[in-house]
Amino acid sequence: MTDQDETGEAITILLVEDDAPTCWRLQDALTKAGYEVRTAGTLGEARSGLAAGAPRVLLTDLRLPDGHGVELIRETRQRFPNTEIMVISALGDEESVISAITVGATGYLLKDAFPTDIATTVRDLVAGHSPISASIARFIVRRTQNSAEPPPGPALNTAKLTPREIDILWGIAKGFSYAEIAGHLGLSRQTVPGHIKNIYRKLEVHTRSEAVFEAVQQGLIKL
Amino acid sequence: MSEIAAKAVTTRQKQRLARIVPYLLLQALIVIASLLGLRLLEPRDPDDFAVSEFSLREAGTTRPVTLPDFTASRYSLADPPLYSGSFVFRADGAGTTWSVFLPRFSNGVEVAINGVTILDSRRDPTANRPDRNTPEIAMIPASLLRKGSNDISVRLFVWGPLRGFLDTVYVGPDAALRPAFETRTLLFVTLPVVFSAWQSILAVILAIMWLMRRHEPVYGVLAAAMVLGVVQAFITPPVPPAASSRLVGVLLSSAPIESALIVASAVLFLGWRWPRYGVLLFVPGLIVIAGGLIAGPPLPRILFLLLGIPTVGFCLVLMAGIAAYAVFRRQDVASFALGCAATVVLTCWVHDILSVFEIMPNERTFVSRLSYSALLIAIGAGLTWRFARALNQVDSFAGQLVARVREAEERLKASFAREEARARAAALANERTRLMRDLHDGLGGQLISIVALSERGHEGATITDAARAALKDLRLVIDSMDDIGGDLMLALGSWRERAVMQLRPHDIALDWRVATPQGLPLHPELRPWHVIQIVRILDEAVTNAVKHADARHITVTVETRNDGQGPYGAISVADDGRGFALGEDGEAAGASQTARGVRNMRSRARRCGAVLELSTDESGTRVRLQLPQIFPDSDAAGG
Repeated sequence: MTDQDETGEAITILLVEDDAPTCWRLQDALTKAGYEVRTAGTLGEARSGLAAGAPRVLLTDLRLPDGHGVELIRETRQRFPNTEIMVISALGDEESVISAITVGATGYLLKDAFPTDIATTVRDLVAGHSPISASIARFIVRRTQNSAEPPPGPALNTAKLTPREIDILWGIAKGFSYAEIAGHLGLSRQTVPGHIKNIYRKLEVHTRSEAVFEAVQQGLIKL
Repeated sequence: MSEIAAKAVTTRQKQRLARIVPYLLLQALIVIASLLGLRLLEPRDPDDFAVSEFSLREAGTTRPVTLPDFTASRYSLADPPLYSGSFVFRADGAGTTWSVFLPRFSNGVEVAINGVTILDSRRDPTANRPDRNTPEIAMIPASLLRKGSNDISVRLFVWGPLRGFLDTVYVGPDAALRPAFETRTLLFVTLPVVFSAWQSILAVILAIMWLMRRHEPVYGVLAAAMVLGVVQAFITPPVPPAASSRLVGVLLSSAPIESALIVASAVLFLGWRWPRYGVLLFVPGLIVIAGGLIAGPPLPRILFLLLGIPTVGFCLVLMAGIAAYAVFRRQDVASFALGCAATVVLTCWVHDILSVFEIMPNERTFVSRLSYSALLIAIGAGLTWRFARALNQVDSFAGQLVARVREAEERLKASFAREEARARAAALANERTRLMRDLHDGLGGQLISIVALSERGHEGATITDAARAALKDLRLVIDSMDDIGGDLMLALGSWRERAVMQLRPHDIALDWRVATPQGLPLHPELRPWHVIQIVRILDEAVTNAVKHADARHITVTVETRNDGQGPYGAISVADDGRGFALGEDGEAAGASQTARGVRNMRSRARRCGAVLELSTDESGTRVRLQLPQIFPDSDAAGG
C-alpha cells in the first residue's frame, strides 16, 4: 500500500534528523506506511535535499549539527508554501514547538511515538489537520491573557486569534476531545481540526522583517 | 565633690553671673529711660493763660493760695473747698471763643464764671477716676464774659483718702488751650481705651487658648487677669455720693487681684509650680473687696490705698525678680521681655507712689495704668514667641517623624525583600528536593533497569517498556512543573493524552467523562508536587488495568461534588477487567507488584490530603480519588 496525494503520486517526505537510530526508526515507520522518505542529517544536507525538489512533507529536528531547524523551516515555508512542515521533538516541549510554529511549522511529532501514530500524524497533516497537544494549547492560551510581565519563551502574536479559537484551545488544554469540544461549542466535529490549522497559520510570522525580528527576539539569530 | 565637678560648678556660676550682670545693667538703663520718657512725655500747657492766684475757702477759713494746690484729705462731700480767682478778658473784636482748661484735678470740679456754672466734671464718668489723669475743657459762653476782670470759682470735690489736688487753671482763647487739652486727652483718655481694647482681645485669645488647652492653666489664669483688667477699665465708676452698687465700686480696686493673677501666670508660664502659700498674694485684694461689700465707701478706698497699692508694688517686684531669675536660669526671649516690662511698670509705680506722698514734685499724674501696657506687650510677645516656637517644634518633630517613617519604611522594604528572597530560595530548595526524589523514584529507577536489561543482553519489549516508562515519567515531571494556575483540569488534559498514547497499542479505549461543567474546582494552593502525586495515582490505576486486569475499557470520570461542606473534586478510574484479590485489610493481596502499586497510591493520596477508595471484583476495578478542599501546604505524610 502506498499513500498518495490528490495527484496520485506518492507522498514524499524529507526527514531531517541527526541521530541515526532515531532517524532509522522514523524512516522505518514512514516507509512501512507507504511514504517516500528522503533523509538528511544536517542542515546542509537538508538544503541540498530541498534543492532537488520540494517534498510534500518536511519533518525536521530543531537541533542540528550545523544549525537550527528553525532556519530550515523558515526557508522551506518561503520557498515551498505547499510543503507541510512538522517538527520532531524529543519531549514535545512547548517552547521549541511554538518557535517552529511561528516560522511556519504546522505540526509536531514525538520521537518516541508508536510507528502507527507516526504514520497517522503525517497522514492527518497532509489531510489538513494539525496535531496539537494539551500543553501547547495551554501555552498558546496563556499568551492570550495579557499579563503585566510577559512570560518567558517565544513571543506570540495571539491578538489575531478569535474567541472561538481560544475556546477550542482551552478545551484541548483541559483534555477534551475534538468531538467534546465541538459539542460544547455547537460546532461540527470536522471543523475543529480546521480551526486548529488556522490557529497555527495565525501564529506564523508572515513577513520577512517580522521573521527576523522574532528570530532575534527568540535568540535564534545573533545580530 | 571631685575637683572637676567643683570646677564645672564654678564655671557654670561664672557663666550665670556673666549673664545676670548685663541684664541688671540693662534694667537700670530701662529705669533711666523710663524716667526720661516720663519727663519728655509730660504735656506742656499754655502758660500764657495760666490763672494760679486764687483764694481758697476751706472749712470756714479763707486764705490765698497758688495753684497747683493740695487740699486736706476729707471724706465728706458737703462744703467742698472753693477756689475763687479772677482773670482779665480782652476782647479782640474777632469774637474769639474763650475756654477754661483744667489739666489735672482730683477728684471732681465744678467751675463757675461770674457766678454761672459752666462745667461739672462729675457728669463725666472717666474724669472721676483718680488713676486716669483726665483733663477738662469748657467753653465760656460769650454772654458771660465781661470786658476786663472776670470772676472764676472752682469747687473741688474730694473723696478721700487722697488729698484733693487742683492744678493750674488756664483761661484763654479756646484755640490756644485746645491743643494742650487734646494732647492730654490723647495720652490719658484715648490711649488707655486703646490699651484696654487690646487687653480685651488678649483676654479673648487667652480664653480660647485655655478652652482648647485645659491642661495649661497659665492661659486660664492670664485670661482671668485680662478680663478683670478690661472690666475695671470699662465699668463706669459711681460718683459719690451716689449710692450705687457697692460691687462696682469695689471692682475698681481690683488691681491687686489682677496683679496677683499675672504673677501666678508668669510662674506657670515659666513652667514652675505655683506654691501653696502663693494664695496669700490674693488676700489683700480679697480684703479690699470684702471691706467694700461690708462697709461701702470710703472703706474700700482706704483699704485699697493701704493694702492694694502695696500689693501691686509687691507683685511688680516679684515679677521683676521672677523674670530676672528666669533670665538667669534659662535666658529665653519671653522671660527677658517680661523682665524688661516689669521694670518699666515698677519704675512708673514708684513714680506714682512718690507722687502720692508728694515726695516727687509734680502734677500728680499717675502713669502706672499707662505703663501697664508694657506688660501687656510683653505678655503678647511672650505668647507669640512661645506659639511660634511650639510651631517650629511641631514642624521639626513632623519632619523627624517623616524621616523616621521613611527610614522605617526603607528598613521594612529591605527586610521584606530579604524575607521574600529567603522564602523564594527555600521554596526553590523544597521543589528541588521533591523533584530529585521524584526523579529518583521514577526516571532513575527506570534508567537503571534499562542499563541492567541491556547488560544482560535483553532485547525488545522489556527495554522498550522501561525506556518508554522513563520518557513518560520525564514528561510527567516536566509537565507538572508548569504553572497551571490551580486548574487541575489542565494537568489532567496532558495526562489524558499520554494515557491514550499508552493505551492505544494495547487496544484499550479510554472513556473520558467530565461529569460537571467546570470539571474540578480551582485550587490556588495547588503546587507541582501535588500534581505529580495525583497524576502518578492515575497512572498507577491505568497501569494496573493494562498489566493485570486484561481490561478493554477504562473510564475516567472527573467531577465536582458537594456534600454540603463545600465543593471538592473527585476523579475515578474504572476498568472492566477481572479485578484482583483484596486482603482483609483492604490492601491488595497476591501479586506483589499490584500490592506495591496500591500501597504507593494510598501513600501518595495521603501526602496530598486526598482520600483513595479502591474496590475490585470480577467485573472490574474502581479507583476513586477524593481530592481535599484545600491541598496541604507541607508534605503531611512525609517521605
